[in-house]
This record gives sequence, C-alpha cells and structure tokens, in this order.
Amino acid sequence: MTTCCVLSPHEQRIQEEMLGKDDFKKGRERIYKILESFHTQRPIIDVERAKYFTESMKQTEGEPLVLRWSKALLHIAQNMTVYIDDNNLLVGRGGQPGRYGMLFPELDGDFLDVAIEQLPSRVESPFNISQADADIVINEIAPYWKGKTFHEKLAEALPADTLKMTYDPKDPLKSRFIVNETASFRSSIQWVHDYERVLKRGFKGIKEEAQAKLAALDSNSPVANMEKAPYLQAVITVCDAIVLWANRHAKLAAELAATEADAVRKQELLEISEICQWVPENPARNFREAVQSQWFTQMFSRIEQKTGTIISNGRMDQYFYPFYKKDIEEGRLTEEKAVELLECMWVAMAQFIDLYVSPTGGAFNEGYAHWEAVTIGGQTPDGRDATNELSYLFLKSKQEFPLNYPDLAARIHARSPERYMHEVALTIKEGSGFPKLINDEEVIPLLLSKGAAFEEAYDYAVSGCSEARMPNRDTFTSGCAYVNFASAVEMVLHNGKTLLTGDEVIGLETGDPRNFQTWEEFWQAYTAQTTNFLKHAFIQMHVIINLRPKHFATPLGSSMHDLCMEHCLDLHTPVIAGGIDMGYFELMGYGTVVDSLVAIKKLVFEEKKLTMAEIIEALKCNFEGKEAIRQMLINAPKYGNNDCYVDAIARDVDQQALEFTRKYSKELGVHLDLRLVPFTSHVPFGKVVSATPNGRKAYTPLADGSSASHGADVNGPTAVLLSNFNSKNYNYRERASRLLNIKFTPSCVAGEEGTQKLASFIRTWCDLKLWHLQFNIVNKETLLKAKKDPDKYRGLIVRVAGYSAYFCDLSPDLQDDIIARTEHDTI
Amino acid sequence: MIEATNGINKKNGIIFNIQRYSVHDGPGIRSIVFLKGCPLTCQWCANPESQHRQPELAYNDYKCIGTSECQYCLTICPAGAIQKNQDKIRIDRKLCTNCDLCADSCPSKALNMYGKSMSVNEVLDTVEQDSIFYSRSGGGMTLSGGEPLLQADFATELLKEAKRRRINTTIETCGYADWEKVEQVCQYVDNILFDIKSMNSNKHKEFTGVPNEKILDNFQRLCNRFPNTPITVRTPVIPGFNDTEQDIVAILNFIKGIPQVRYELLGYHRLGEPKYIYLGKDYLLSGVKPMAEDRLAVLKKLVQEHLGDKH
Repeated sequence: MTTCCVLSPHEQRIQEEMLGKDDFKKGRERIYKILESFHTQRPIIDVERAKYFTESMKQTEGEPLVLRWSKALLHIAQNMTVYIDDNNLLVGRGGQPGRYGMLFPELDGDFLDVAIEQLPSRVESPFNISQADADIVINEIAPYWKGKTFHEKLAEALPADTLKMTYDPKDPLKSRFIVNETASFRSSIQWVHDYERVLKRGFKGIKEEAQAKLAALDSNSPVANMEKAPYLQAVITVCDAIVLWANRHAKLAAELAATEADAVRKQELLEISEICQWVPENPARNFREAVQSQWFTQMFSRIEQKTGTIISNGRMDQYFYPFYKKDIEEGRLTEEKAVELLECMWVAMAQFIDLYVSPTGGAFNEGYAHWEAVTIGGQTPDGRDATNELSYLFLKSKQEFPLNYPDLAARIHARSPERYMHEVALTIKEGSGFPKLINDEEVIPLLLSKGAAFEEAYDYAVSGCSEARMPNRDTFTSGCAYVNFASAVEMVLHNGKTLLTGDEVIGLETGDPRNFQTWEEFWQAYTAQTTNFLKHAFIQMHVIINLRPKHFATPLGSSMHDLCMEHCLDLHTPVIAGGIDMGYFELMGYGTVVDSLVAIKKLVFEEKKLTMAEIIEALKCNFEGKEAIRQMLINAPKYGNNDCYVDAIARDVDQQALEFTRKYSKELGVHLDLRLVPFTSHVPFGKVVSATPNGRKAYTPLADGSSASHGADVNGPTAVLLSNFNSKNYNYRERASRLLNIKFTPSCVAGEEGTQKLASFIRTWCDLKLWHLQFNIVNKETLLKAKKDPDKYRGLIVRVAGYSAYFCDLSPDLQDDIIARTEHDTI
Repeated sequence: MIEATNGINKKNGIIFNIQRYSVHDGPGIRSIVFLKGCPLTCQWCANPESQHRQPELAYNDYKCIGTSECQYCLTICPAGAIQKNQDKIRIDRKLCTNCDLCADSCPSKALNMYGKSMSVNEVLDTVEQDSIFYSRSGGGMTLSGGEPLLQADFATELLKEAKRRRINTTIETCGYADWEKVEQVCQYVDNILFDIKSMNSNKHKEFTGVPNEKILDNFQRLCNRFPNTPITVRTPVIPGFNDTEQDIVAILNFIKGIPQVRYELLGYHRLGEPKYIYLGKDYLLSGVKPMAEDRLAVLKKLVQEHLGDKH
C-alpha cells in the first residue's frame, strides 16, 4: 500500500509538463495555443468600460436611472475596442488581449484614483495598469464619481451604532469584518440569466416585445409615463446596444478575413463574421450560433454591471441540448467539434478576471476567484432526470482539460443515473476539484417552501458559489451581510470589546465572564452578543435594500426576466410583484464558534479542568507560555467528528440564528436565510479575531463554511458529513446553502474500486440532504512543494471554499490554510 | 490451546481503534474494529500497539510540549515511572503499570493509552453510525487486530450483534488459532481476509514467531466448512522474507483451484515505524526500504498469470 506516491491525474499532467511531455495536448492544439498566450501573464486593467460608462453618465444626469444605464451601454457598444482573438472560434471580450479586469466606477469611483496606484503591489490578486490608463482613471473617471457612489451614501445612511460594527468609524473604506456589508463592492449578488430566451427569440424578439408594450401603454397614466415607458425604452436601447456590439465584431472579422493569408483561418473568420451578423439579434439556428449568442450575452452582462462572483451560466446542458442534438443528428457537428467550441469558451472565460478594487472585495475573492457556475444534471421541470449526452461531454471536457474555468456544478438527485454518478466521481478524481455538487433533495423542497411552483423548483440553476436560482422567479439582488460570530464569542470573553480594537466597546457589555457560575450564563451572553450583531445586520439590510435602486440598474438583466418585463420594473427594484426574494445572512466562523463554546462548557463548567480566568489570560497573551492550556483546548471535543455532544451545541448555534431571521425577515419582505458560504473571507474575518477557546491562535483564519476547524476532523469524511447533518435544523425553512469542503488524497479513490466508493459516498451525501459538497484530491506533499517552488507548480489547481484557483495565485496565508486542512487518507 | 487472557470475555473486549471510512479492507466503505493482542510477532508489523493483549502506554515525543511548559505527568504518576529527560520525559517501562493516569492528564495527548475495554454495544453503536454509508456502498464492519480470534468469544458477540443490526461483516485474520474458535467466529462472517505470509514454516517462524502449519490447516478447513464465504488471501510482501517469485508461487499453488478464494499482494510500508518508538520498542526492520513499485508490479503480474482474474 504505497499511499504516499499516488499522484492524481491532474498532478501527473503537471509533472509531465515539467518533463517536457505534451501528449495530453493532442486534439487540443487550438485550445492549448490560446491557453499558452495568457497562462502565466499577470492580469491587466482595461479602462475602456469605465471611461465610456462615465462619459455617458455625465451626459444623462436627471434622467431615469435604468434609461441612463442603457444609454451608457449603447455608448460603450459604439466605442469600446472590439477584438478578434487569434485561434479562438468565439469572439467578444471586455478588454485587451490576455488576462484582464474591468473597472466599475459606479462602485468605487471615488477612491479609484488612490486605489489604482496600489493594485499592482497588493498581495491578494494583484493587477497591472499602464501609466496612460492610470491617468485616465485619475483625471477623467474618478473625479466625476466623488460624492456619488453607493458606499459613500451607505456610510451616511447607516445609524451610528450599526456603522461602528460595519466600518472603521474613522475610515468607512475599511471594513471591521464584524457585521460586514457586501453590497458596495458589487452591484448585484450572484445571478443567472434565462439564456434560453435569447437563444429562442434573440434580442430582436425581446426588443419587439418591449416595443409592443410601449405602444400599448396608457398614455395618461403617471406610472406608465414615469416608470414603465423609461424602462421599456431602456430595454429597447440595450437590445440595440448588444446587437450593435456583435455586428462590429462581424465587420472586423470580415476585414481580417480579407487580408488573412492562411486559408483555414480565413474561412473561420468569414464564419465568425456571418455568425455575429446573425446572433444574438436573431434566434440561434445551430449549436455554434447558440454558443456564440450565449457568450455575447454573458459578456455584455459582465460589461453591464459587476455581478458578485461573475454572472452564472445556468443549465447549459439543458438549453444547448436541442441545438446539439439536431446538429449531431443532421451530421453538421461531431462530439470533438462541440467540445472544441465549448473549450473555446472556457479559455475565453479564463481571460476575464473579476477585479475587486476595494480591499474588502479583494479579500472576499482571493486568487482571482470566480464562480460563473455552469450547471449540469439534475431534473427537468416535470421532475424527470435531466442528464443528457451534453452533460457527459461537459464532464469529459473537465476530465481531459482540467482548466479551472468554468466553475462546473453538478446537480445530484436520488435517481441520478449510475453512469452520471460514475462520471462525476471520475471527474472529481482528476484532481482539479470539479465538479462541485449541489443536492436537489435539499434545494428543491426549500425552494418550494419559499413559494416556488414545482416546475420552477425542479428547473433551478446553480448560481455563484453554491446558491440556487430560478431565473424568472427570483427577484432579490442585494449583497447581504456577513456576520462574524467568532467575534461575538470574543466579545463575550472580553465584555463587549475585542483585543484588536482595545478600549472601544463595540458589542454589548454582557458582564465579566469570570463571574459566570454556569454554562447557561455563558450561553446567554453569547446569544445576547449574536442577537445584537444580527440586529445590526438586518438594519444594514434595510438601508441597503432601499438605497440600491438609486445607484444601480440592469436593463440587460431585466430584459431577460419574465417578471421585470411583465411589470416594467428594473430587476434592482426592492419589490417586484410575484417575485421570490431570497437573500441570506452569513454566519462566519461556524466551526470556530462551536469548538470554542464546547471547550468552555466542557473544561470550565463540567470537568472544571480550567477556570475562565485561566482561559482568558491565555487568550490575551495568545497562548505565549500557556501551551499546556492551549493543548487542553485543542484536545477538547471538536465539531466534524460525529460527536453528539458537540453536534448538539452546533445545532443550538444554528438554531439561535435561525430564530432571529424567522422573526424579523418578514418585516423586510425578504427571505434572509442562514448561510455558511464564506468565499475566501474566513481569512480576513479571522484577522480581526484574537485567540479563541478552541486553541486557535490570534488573527489566523476562521473555520470555513460548515467545514470543521482546520485539522479538527479526525474521524474521517463520513463523520464530517454526519456532523454536518446532525447540526442542521431541518424543521426551519430559513436555512440555505452550507459549504462543505473535503480533501481526499488520491490513494483514497484509486482505481475502479475507488471510483465506485467515491460515487457511493456522494450518494450517501445526497441521502443526508446536505446542500453542497466539494472535494480536493491532492497530496499534502504536493502543496508543500508548490508553496516552496511556485514556478514549477503554476498550473496546480486547488479547491478553496467553493471554487478552484491556481494554488500559486493565493497569498501565503491562504496557502497555509489549505495545507493545514485535514487530509482524509486511509493507510 | 491458545487462551483468552483476563479482562476479555463475551461482553467486553480490548479495542485499540475503530477506524471509519476504511476503503482498503473489504467491500465498500467500512469501519475497522481493531482488537488488541496477537499470537504473532511479525517483524514488519505496522501496528505494534496491537501485539500486546492489555492496554499500554505510548509516548509521542513530538507531541510533548516539554517540561518547562507542563509537568502534569511528572506529578501524577503514582509509580514514579516518568522522569525528566532534558526538556521532555522518559518512561521507565519496568515501573509503569499502564494505569492511564498520566495519559488522562496529558494536555497534548503526547501520552496516550493504546487500547481500552469496550462493551459489545459500545463498539456497535460507533460502528452503526456509518450504516447509511454501508448501505450505499455495500460496506460494513471489519474486525481486525491484532488478531481478532485471540478474543474469539468477544468477537463472536460483536459479529452476532452486527448481524442483528443488519451490518455486513468481514474479519481480517492471521489464521493462527484453535479450529474451534475459527469455526465459532467465522459462522457470523460475510467475508474473510486471510493472511498467508509464507509456505516455508521455518522462515515463517523466524519472521513471525510461529510456524505456519496451524494456519494452513485452518485455511483448508475454512474453505471446506464455509464454501460460500468469499475468502481473500493476502500476502504482505516483505523484502528479505517473502519477496521472491518462488515465495509467491508457492502460496499461489496452495490456494489454486478453490472457487471462493481471491488473492491480493500488499506492498511493505514503514508507516508503523514511529509507533515502535512511542511504545519504547525496537523496530527490527529498521533500514529496510519499501518495495519499488516495479518490483511489486512484477509480482502482481505473476499472480495474474497464475490466477487469471481471480486476484
């Protein structure tokens, strides 16, 4: 049993590349050529989008916002440079060749001039910018936005008590990471469009619908005049904008074809030209047009606004399938050609970097994180299995070409076919961590409980990191609060203060815990602190929900939504009749909190091995000279081991937060559900929390999502799943996504037998009705080597909280974090 | 006659680990129950903590935080068996009574007892926690050791209770026990993993401490008595002991033609070596390198040639 030297296929490929072998490139020459053109390059900032957006907004002040937004998009479509990439069959990008990011000054324009100078040197996700472009930002863009951005208005609007939990009172740009808002570094949370509408009707059809509605408006109605007409006009304008943008590509491709010497490429360019003249204006007629039309739509959406985690791709295996099937049957397409075209899209995706200028946004999305989720599998609207040949093709592409784009999400249900389960397990074994798994058996009942019809719930798409969306029924787009529950534990221990902020009382003064006589007193102090946090989180949401429509509009996004078109309202409107508003709040540091509470209950109040005074003293000095106490805390029972004592407290922690939202989210008219999905933010949230009673040292990362604290899960992966199950409150519909990461070493899943065991493990996860699961199959040794010698491991992909990133793109902090996670190896 | 020792009876046994999510010992996802005590003393043993029948103290120097931070064990030991050793400690095994007091007080778990007495229900309650994984994967409980047949009465009760709870059962055995015990236990077993280490009795005695006649005899009786129970014969391939083609072919010839028997080679590894140090024991194979992958591959090919797909 030579457990230590089994490499995952993904690791093997990297090793082969290091040795100069490139057999794996066979049949993918085009794709590897594109990949190699940008692979190692540091991303650059392209300012065109920001420049033309700002130019237009200057001209339209005073007009309805949705109309202004559409005019800005038209201005961009007219003026932004268009590109035809060498080798690629698809066209449409938002910036210069190579890896690029765009700027959204409507979010951060007021401090963009200062920030732009820091971007090349920041540790997390650095970017380059040319001096000429930096000058445009400083002189043309930033000055206009000062005093106009959302986050400035938000800081003004928050009550003082809420503000001090949100930002550093002296500098509202600095998050406190206590009750953190995420509405100001993006103009929408994760979202997914109804792409099928574009493929079937084209923007011509959408425009005609808007024109017909406009013509039918009651010309005497004030609402029709002031709200509906501008909305419909905006839809018409945005349809014109995207078609114009596509047609400019057609023109450029034709020009290039005229001078192209290579006959093959010349023909490709002529085809590109013809396709871009037809889509996305008209319905797609074949697979190739469908893919190009979808790509134009999502790219223009990326230009339209900053959607958190990048706009998602929806159920691609479903809406592309009729085109694929028809082309295959009629002999116009082969599997290989289809895969090549899709991979042309993956490498185009890989060049778009989700740039966060604000330090808070950057911290949430380390390693150029992205979640443009492509959903496969699941069920059809009438509740049958939805797997088709295209689902398998996506998995095959991911197995053979393990790029970390797109973020692939596989829906699993109780009747998912065995072949699908097997292919999913095989793909996971490849070692890139894809696909992540989302569980129909948990998601669908929850969507129903929130008012969805069966056919809507069955047809959900994975959106962003791990959320589920019903593209024509969801109507909530506000970024939600991230609440640092580990900080609440710290405030119990230090009577409303934190060690980082010193004498300032931020939380409640719940008394000196050294005087607590019982566990119940401690628990009450904890619930008082967290309830206070949630109170401010919900106040924050109240302000945000009502303020956002004054700052953000999404005419393109709205044009693809049934309810927006029906009521002539922009998607960012707080209430849209018939919509289901699904928001959330994030409980940060779940494992850290549970383990800390357990250690105190057990060691102080039950076994009396330590006093509260001893623990507080040890925490204050970050365990310096107190290693024995730290070891006792570390060796107390921990979450993630299927220990009923611990899991009961974990369930109480969960329930206490659920109770709050059950009581108060109704007032806001939004389902603010409890979620455990940290992105990469468990690192920055940990940076404000001093040492905790689970033995965690000061300012190190918190436990992420619903995973165990690092290294605390010692009973293997079955125990991890069961702890997760035990700690959930299935009687509350106010629950939502729980992110769960499990790292396996390749020996655990080696061979055909390993694949079968992995598939059955996933089946059990489905039985347990857990929301999300993702695997990281890699050797710890590999990670250590990669950290030491990043140049040799540039292509190494690892899983971090809901997405894959290149290991070497991560900060040393996060690299250590990944290395520290327990490896589940059986020897 | 191989006697069960004190403290081991029908109701309670000495267990040194229950390992969940085990995927290499029997079908599906399994929990392995490791029973303490073994009649063999294999030089390569990867579980030296399994050999002795009673709970015993282990000390992991690496985990110990040192006597300048912590002196719990020094003050609590009633036998004076723990002494300072520079900044760490040393255990005088002659004085130590394995009373567990120091392990209980050790904050970092550098001191740790291998083995504790558990009841049938305590074991099965733990094992049953993963039953939902067993049903999806075709897994269950595997009894291992040590040698589970050394606690035959307790093992029988564990297996009976597992059957009552509809849990699939596997036993991993070295085969060295009285036939009555083998028969008694194996009637409640769905799969048998049976070690055959060498056909050469002298060599067998040299490297494992016992000759192989009883083992081979039990094997043949098992095949006859339980013709419907699948048996996987396993050979840990140890350099210098049984790693030649002749060694393996001899075993293959012995098991050839028995319908319910499959065969598996296990490569030698040194992952158990640190545990010898924790127990204050010497590792006899120190310096022996794990087998090269290609060497094992040669032997595996040999097996394939002899048995076809039945390996």
